[in-house]
Amino acid sequence: MQASEDELRAMMIGGLNGHAPSHAALLRALVPLLRAFYRRRMQGGEDDIEDLVQETLIAVHTRRATYDRDRLFTPWLFAVARYKMIDHFRLRRRNCPIEGLEEILVAEGFEDASNARMDLDRLLADLPPKQAESIRATRIDGLSITETADRAGLGVSDVKVSVHRGLKALAARIAGERR
Amino acid sequence: MNVETLIDTLSADVKPVRRHAVARRIALGLLMGGAATAILIAIGLGIRPDLGLAMRGYSFWVKWLYTLSLAVCALILVARLARPGRSASRWLWLLPVPVCLLAVIGVVEMAHVPQAEWLAMWLGHSWKVCSSLVLMLAAPIFVGLLWSFRRLAPTRLRAAGAAAGLAAGSCAATLYCLHCPEVSAIFVLTWYTLGIALAAGAGALLGPRVLRW
Repeated sequence: MQASEDELRAMMIGGLNGHAPSHAALLRALVPLLRAFYRRRMQGGEDDIEDLVQETLIAVHTRRATYDRDRLFTPWLFAVARYKMIDHFRLRRRNCPIEGLEEILVAEGFEDASNARMDLDRLLADLPPKQAESIRATRIDGLSITETADRAGLGVSDVKVSVHRGLKALAARIAGERR
Repeated sequence: MNVETLIDTLSADVKPVRRHAVARRIALGLLMGGAATAILIAIGLGIRPDLGLAMRGYSFWVKWLYTLSLAVCALILVARLARPGRSASRWLWLLPVPVCLLAVIGVVEMAHVPQAEWLAMWLGHSWKVCSSLVLMLAAPIFVGLLWSFRRLAPTRLRAAGAAAGLAAGSCAATLYCLHCPEVSAIFVLTWYTLGIALAAGAGALLGPRVLRW
């Protein structure tokens, strides 16, 4: 059963007053709400939705000071959820996976493809193993952050940070090689 | 990580949040940035030596009230845009009010001096640097507000960036009054407003990039 506005708001205010059990109860109650919210609005896979639900829970936690106790809770929640969804799409558009990349590479020239793979392996080999694995899983094998974290036995934020740091280090290295 | 562990981690540390946490956070960022700008003015430009005297004249107060009222309007917008799902459009009409009032004062002033002096009134001594100084002095305050936003949750990043730029610009202009010896209302209306508008524009450009969370 889904919690009502009044119940959610009471739990939120409890959490704002420093009552940890209310805060945990609130986050738990939000999970089905957010899943339904994202399922209705996007065609992405369950992994994308799960990533978004977790991102939103983290945002509800870290940005809870921006909730005004005198106002309704659900509009605040859905404004956060909507923002996270738009942000997610923005990110997706930036590194959109190309359908059938392998075939294109084969058709364009096997040599280029294998050179690219070798370059990639060489670059990744220079990174710490955790960063290399995280990048390989999320950016090359196309797994979601959650799947990667589960597979490697790491935290979600750990994976995110590793990917981010790794890519930054790679970018710096490539820029250095070009110069 | 599955959702259950995430929730356990998040609710392990639940600090109480004070009622006016958002306002406090904005005020703190503003104060830190404002202090930096004030120091820059005191060291780099110097406080005008006749400040005590000028504070007895009306033109200083016209300038100050103009920039201060813009700052107040801008901060109202910042505070609204710092919360998810709130729009600032209901408060936007406030912004043209000080501008129009200053324009009226400018026209009255011009009516009292011969036409030959209008150009000198409008350009003053410092029209070439005034706007760019305001824009530069806005930077520390903008950075202070960015720090405030790191705990806040703007969902319209461009609008929030513009409001932060506007607030930074008008607060910087308010502090710049301590240095600037210009007296005429049309000078302030043109060059101060231009500097503040540039700061707001820079904020709108930077907003989507620097305010993401």
